[in-house]
Amino acid sequence: MDIQRALELLHMTVFSQSVSPCGKYLAAGNNYGEIAVFSLSAALSSEAKEESKKPVVSFTAHDGPVYAMVSTERQLLSAGNGEVKAWNWSDIVKKGCKEAWSRRPPYRSSLEVPEINSLQLNPKDNSLLLAGGDCSVHAMDLESGTFTHEFRGHSDYVHCLALRDQYQECLSGSEDGTVRMWDLRTGAQVQVIEVHKYEECSRPQNGKWIRCLATDCDWMVCGGGPALTLWHLRSVTPTTVFPLPHCQQHVMFYQDLILSAGHSPAINHLQISGELRAQIPCTPRSVHSLCVNQRSPEHKVAGCSLEGGGRMARGRGAE
Amino acid sequence: MLSTLSQCEFSMGKTLLVYDMNLREMENYEKIYKDIENSIAAAHEKIAECKKQILQAKRIRKNRQEYDALAKVIQHHPDRHETLKQLEALGKELQHLSHIKENVEDKLELRRKQFHVLLSTIHELQQTLENDEKLSEAEESQETHMEEETKQ
Repeated sequence: MDIQRALELLHMTVFSQSVSPCGKYLAAGNNYGEIAVFSLSAALSSEAKEESKKPVVSFTAHDGPVYAMVSTERQLLSAGNGEVKAWNWSDIVKKGCKEAWSRRPPYRSSLEVPEINSLQLNPKDNSLLLAGGDCSVHAMDLESGTFTHEFRGHSDYVHCLALRDQYQECLSGSEDGTVRMWDLRTGAQVQVIEVHKYEECSRPQNGKWIRCLATDCDWMVCGGGPALTLWHLRSVTPTTVFPLPHCQQHVMFYQDLILSAGHSPAINHLQISGELRAQIPCTPRSVHSLCVNQRSPEHKVAGCSLEGGGRMARGRGAE
Repeated sequence: MLSTLSQCEFSMGKTLLVYDMNLREMENYEKIYKDIENSIAAAHEKIAECKKQILQAKRIRKNRQEYDALAKVIQHHPDRHETLKQLEALGKELQHLSHIKENVEDKLELRRKQFHVLLSTIHELQQTLENDEKLSEAEESQETHMEEETKQ
């Protein structure tokens, strides 16, 4: 392996990952704009060798880092600097795959190209929500490819998105420290929660940015600069503040637990009551994304992607 | 020769018996194999049942924890009965005070009216006194005028 590649691997950060619809492959996008596809069945089987832990196929998808990826029934959607591209899963595994389509949300200024930080699928009306660096959330219809709504209101770029299925609302967390709720049908802003103004969770030494959001219709977890807190959405009160000293970069609800990971080399399993049930150590120093493979009955594994190592670390979720 | 014949017969009988024995052993093993397969299938089903139960129990636990979390927040707020009582007491005080205010205002009105009556009667009296003085002055001047006329 030449020095160039070794240096690249050293500085590689994997920002996003997504599991294939059949549950057998994991795609990961890194800061060089490449997407690598790993075969989970080969890597986790009992006869796994070093070779089967390497990517099955890897191609350059975007010219900037791939910040967000999400999978539909048949396609992998990846987003990087200003555009969303779709790849068919059936073509990905064969070499030399071409993108199915590529779209660019309407940005107000054509000078700068804002990056897309997060993607969220809305299966009810088959649309895709994009959180952008232009401080707004765009909604795109997947069938026609047109951009239906633009939710403007944040004063700084939007980091993360979460979807409240029951009420057809979308939550967005941004660098300006607010979590805003948008009604997807009317396009209006429903509520603003200024997380850093609440004393229980604000940590002014870290800043007020909200990096990760997850919602369960009635409850919401958000973290970043302020401490990771569980909020009850109907009364908009912070109920539990989790005792994690580091800034959390990704959080999700899983069964009765809340999984979170951030600037520390561990995946935290938290209970809604506020206790830290388990802290699974992992190889990378800082974790950018978590995903749980729920589509395959044999390989229920939580994957986490990392910074500063170029390797995929997997921790088996303790069931 | 008879002995070799009988020996052969004997070994033949032995091998026949061994063959029978093997057949029965095979049947036995088949039976045990089927039993084990059945119990494996039953165990699989039990595992699936237990997994469902675990999921159910996890959901219950999650609901309980959510309830606890909300209850903690609610406890911070004061009791509803107490606030209702305080509200009632404050309402009564308000009523009482407005009553007193009404009474005082009525008294004030009455006094004002009485003063008004008093002042107007004083003015009238003043007016009548002045009128009387003017009348008496006019009468005196008329008398002196008449006296002067009779003198001439």
